Amino acid sequence: MLQGNPMTNTTAKNPGVFRRNAPIAGEAEAIEAARSGDPDAFAKLYALHKRRVYTLCLRMLGNVSEAEDMTQEAFLHLFRKIGSFRGESAFSTWLHRLTVNLVLMHLRKKGLQLVSLEETINPSEEDAPKRDFGSRDPRLTGSVDRVTLERAVASLPPGYRLVFILHDVEGYEHNEIATMLECSTGNSKSQLHKARLKLRDILRETAVVNEGAV
Amino acid sequence: MSDSNSNHKILSCAEFQEQLPDMFTQEADSDLHEQPELRAHLATCTNCSSLVRDLEYIADQARLLLEPTLEPSPDVWSNIQSKLRKDGTDGKSN
Repeated sequence: MLQGNPMTNTTAKNPGVFRRNAPIAGEAEAIEAARSGDPDAFAKLYALHKRRVYTLCLRMLGNVSEAEDMTQEAFLHLFRKIGSFRGESAFSTWLHRLTVNLVLMHLRKKGLQLVSLEETINPSEEDAPKRDFGSRDPRLTGSVDRVTLERAVASLPPGYRLVFILHDVEGYEHNEIATMLECSTGNSKSQLHKARLKLRDILRETAVVNEGAV
Repeated sequence: MSDSNSNHKILSCAEFQEQLPDMFTQEADSDLHEQPELRAHLATCTNCSSLVRDLEYIADQARLLLEPTLEPSPDVWSNIQSKLRKDGTDGKSN
C-alpha cells in the first residue's frame, strides 16, 4: 500500500459485487413462486428490480426509449427463463448480467460488430483525455455530488462510458468485461483509465464553472 | 536483500502515468502500487500525486451511482404483462 498517499485501500476488493449481492427480503420466495408461474411473483420481482435494471440500461444506452425497451426485454427474458436460474450466484447478479448481455447484443445489432467492437469503442484522438504533465488543478476531492457525476458519466463517449459503468459502478472485473465486450483485459483497463481521465477533465471544468457562478 | 529505497529507478511523469491503468485495477492480482519506484515518484511529484488522488476519488464516487434513482414508465410493465399473456405465462398488475 502507498502510505500517506490517496491511492491506498479506499478501493476495497470489488465492493460493488457485495452490494449487488445483498439479499432482498421476499426475493427468494418470489423466485420460487415465479418458477411455478405465479403472476404475483412476477410482479414482485419486477417491483424489486425494475429500477436497477432500468438505470443500468439507461446508463449503458443513454436513451430513455431504448432503455425502456431493453428493460422490457430483460424482464421478459427473465420470466421466460427463470427455470434456468440455479442459484449459483445471487439472483440480482444473474439478472444484471443477463441485462448487460442483452444491451450489448442490442448495441452490436445497431452496428457494433463483435469483431470490431474493440476498435469501435475507441473514441477518436480528439476525444482522448490529455496527458497531465505539469498542470495545476483544483482538487476534486469532496466536490463531486451524485448528480454532477451522473451528468459527467452521461457525457462520456459510449466506449468509455460502458467500461466505466461495468467496472466502477457495477463492480465487474476486467476479465469479465473483456469477455462481455470481446476485447482484451488490457483494452478494458486502458478504456477504464481513459474514462476516468476524461471524467476528471469534465468534473474539473464543471468545478471551474461552478466557482465562477458563485 | 537489497535496499529497495536506494536501488529503484527514478521515473518520469510520463513513465509513471503509463503505469496508471494497471495501478487502479481492483483485482487481487494487482500489486503494482507496491512497487517502490511508483511509491517514490508519488512521494516527490505533486502533479502525479494530485492526479492519482483525483482518479481514486472518481473511482470511489462511482459507487454513489450503484443505487438506482430512475424508474421506467408504467408502460413497460403493461407491455411485459401483455407479452406474457400471449406466451401463456401470466403477469398481474404491479
